[in-house]
Amino acid sequence: MTRSELGRIAGGTPRAVENALAELAAAYEGTGLRLQRSGDEWQIVTAPEHAPQVAAYLGADRLRLSPASLETLSVVAYRQPVTRAEVEAIRGVNCDQTFYTLASRRLIEERGRKEAPGRPILYGTTWEFLECFGLQSLDDLPRALSPEGALVLEGAAAPSEPG
Amino acid sequence: MESQAPRVTVEGFDGPLDLLLELVEEKKLDILTVRLGDLADAYLARVRAMAALPADEVSAFLALASRLVLLKARSLLPSLEPQREEDAESEEELRLRLLEYAIVRERAGQLGARLRAGERAFHREGGTVELPPRGGEVDALALAFGRVLALAARQREEDIVAPGERYSVEQRTAEIEALVAAQERVTFATLLAETPTVGFAVVTFIALLDLYRRGVIDLAQDELFADILITRREATSDRI
Repeated sequence: MTRSELGRIAGGTPRAVENALAELAAAYEGTGLRLQRSGDEWQIVTAPEHAPQVAAYLGADRLRLSPASLETLSVVAYRQPVTRAEVEAIRGVNCDQTFYTLASRRLIEERGRKEAPGRPILYGTTWEFLECFGLQSLDDLPRALSPEGALVLEGAAAPSEPG
Repeated sequence: MESQAPRVTVEGFDGPLDLLLELVEEKKLDILTVRLGDLADAYLARVRAMAALPADEVSAFLALASRLVLLKARSLLPSLEPQREEDAESEEELRLRLLEYAIVRERAGQLGARLRAGERAFHREGGTVELPPRGGEVDALALAFGRVLALAARQREEDIVAPGERYSVEQRTAEIEALVAAQERVTFATLLAETPTVGFAVVTFIALLDLYRRGVIDLAQDELFADILITRREATSDRI
């Protein structure tokens, strides 16, 4: 449910909705539930601490991903929206298969097209991704090394991948 | 450091950068300072063990191998340096790619750890739950169940008791005759009472026909399927 939807139904300003959501999130603290945000979409989900019990109740299988899929997923997660060619340039390998796997598991999805030659498809992570990794939002992504390092490398990545 | 025997299977590597990074870490070198050309031999030794891989995968490894060899050659023969700058990736560019890839691999490892920890969230599945319609009578269910019980009881009575044994036409005739004598008129529905069995209804009907035949009663019915009205005939005057 989006913030504007909430505002329309409850008859509140975006700011009021924001405050109410923050209050709700605080109220859920320590309970079995919590709020999850994907972009402007809000959702009530079970708290990851109780995942074993909920999974047992639902009979849910644990998600398994190969190291290659995890690498591709991490690039998409931290760099989104991103094209497949950009991911391949960073990983230095063809990512057709891993993109297919991730999309079929609803961990990544198309996010429009890049205004570049060939208008390649842009990809981003889904709210299922947040759910599967127990993240409240993308701000929750684990930080690796120095964030500055990632910024410095941003422009320097040379996508010169021969055949 | 030259040509170490490859001790890791090729399948363990996820692309040429992965292999290169593995070599750097194996030799405990710093990505920022290592001369990448120095790794060319070790890298090639590993690639040589990859003959079993599909060609398109091997080609990616070979592309990086050629780059490493070129870097090594340049460091040995500085005169080669200025050649075809724009074509080939400089050592610094390759170093940056390797650095970036190292970050990706670390992040992937962290995501994988989260996945293995299994601490995930679940949303509520499915759409709306079908609720029974509101506004129904509260005791409608009890009433319905009462009717079912009555039906069942009646059914049981009919099953167990043969009508002929329970009611006799003579006995019923006498009963009706006494009733009509007392109150002059009575309806068929009244005679049948609340919940008649088929047997009881038949016996009652035959008794009425018999009484009519004997001229004890008159029968009247206003319309088809309407209740039958039974009235006492003034027999006394006839007899006198």
